[in-house]
Amino acid sequence: MIRIAAVGDVHLDENARGRLRPALERVGRHADVLLLSGDLTRHGTVGEMRVVAEEFSGLPVPVVAVLGNHDHHSDAVPEVTDVLHDHDIEVLEGDSVVLPIGPHRLGIAGVKGFGGGFAGKCASAFGEPEIKAFVRHTVDVADRLRKALDALDADARVALMHYAPIPETLQGEPPEIYPFLGSYLLSEAIDATDVDLAVHGHAHYGAEQGMTPAGVPVRNVAQPVIRTAFAVYSIEP
Amino acid sequence: MNESEQSRAPGHHAARLRRVLAEDSRTAELGVQITVEGAAVHLAGPVASGRHKDELDRVLREAAPEMRVYNDVWVVEADEPGSGEELR
Ligand SMILES: [Fe+2]
Ligand SMILES: [Fe+2]
Repeated sequence: MIRIAAVGDVHLDENARGRLRPALERVGRHADVLLLSGDLTRHGTVGEMRVVAEEFSGLPVPVVAVLGNHDHHSDAVPEVTDVLHDHDIEVLEGDSVVLPIGPHRLGIAGVKGFGGGFAGKCASAFGEPEIKAFVRHTVDVADRLRKALDALDADARVALMHYAPIPETLQGEPPEIYPFLGSYLLSEAIDATDVDLAVHGHAHYGAEQGMTPAGVPVRNVAQPVIRTAFAVYSIEP
Repeated sequence: MNESEQSRAPGHHAARLRRVLAEDSRTAELGVQITVEGAAVHLAGPVASGRHKDELDRVLREAAPEMRVYNDVWVVEADEPGSGEELR
């Protein structure tokens, strides 16, 4: 049994320092690893990411993160990534990590993801360059996720994203904004590989539970959705 | 309806205020719900700190000084979870 703790959209800044720490100190009782599904900061500044790093470092379990759109806002992705690395927090973007958990190897592949929408109601790469660039970014990101998952040599596999791979976990959000909340291309990548669990955030008003078309469990761990410091899922490799 | 009346229609007003809260660097908030009814604007949704709730209030009052602001934003809970979910 591998126990996975996960949370996203904590949106920390100086004013919210320490708010998750009491619960995080006890994460080792609940889980073997902690995943962070992006939107760790409000503006994506180095100062805010230092608050995040202090909140999530020095824990008894390994911590693996992807960034969210808010963490990109200050155009300082390399710098904020370094802050997390300096605190032993792994940051994935189109790559993966394999962690030994007891006798098992847990593989985690991560990407930020992007919008684009879902089957039948999604954007396509047609028309103005702005639309084509938007769709191309989604296609690229989904492609990187698929390759990272494909390359994983592990007993259990998790796909970690910020944006949603399916519309089910967006239920509660206005349908008009679904194309900004995720893309079906992410779930195609998940279903093309052998994934045990997909985790995402971004949809603060969404629902926690869903499933890809091929039956892979999807969990939206945005903190306003789970309403705890983290959620915990166990998988049997 | 002329152009200035149109831009004051409740739908437009809510859309404009939603953009202000997203794009003002003090708030950078995309996650609260804004509804406008007459001269009242209502805010709801979860945020990460009490200070952030106050900031939303301040920015909104600046952007729409003629409106009454009802701020029902709450600070999201961050307690230790109960038992986890077993997936099979
Ligand atoms: Fe978020
Ligand atoms: Fe987000």
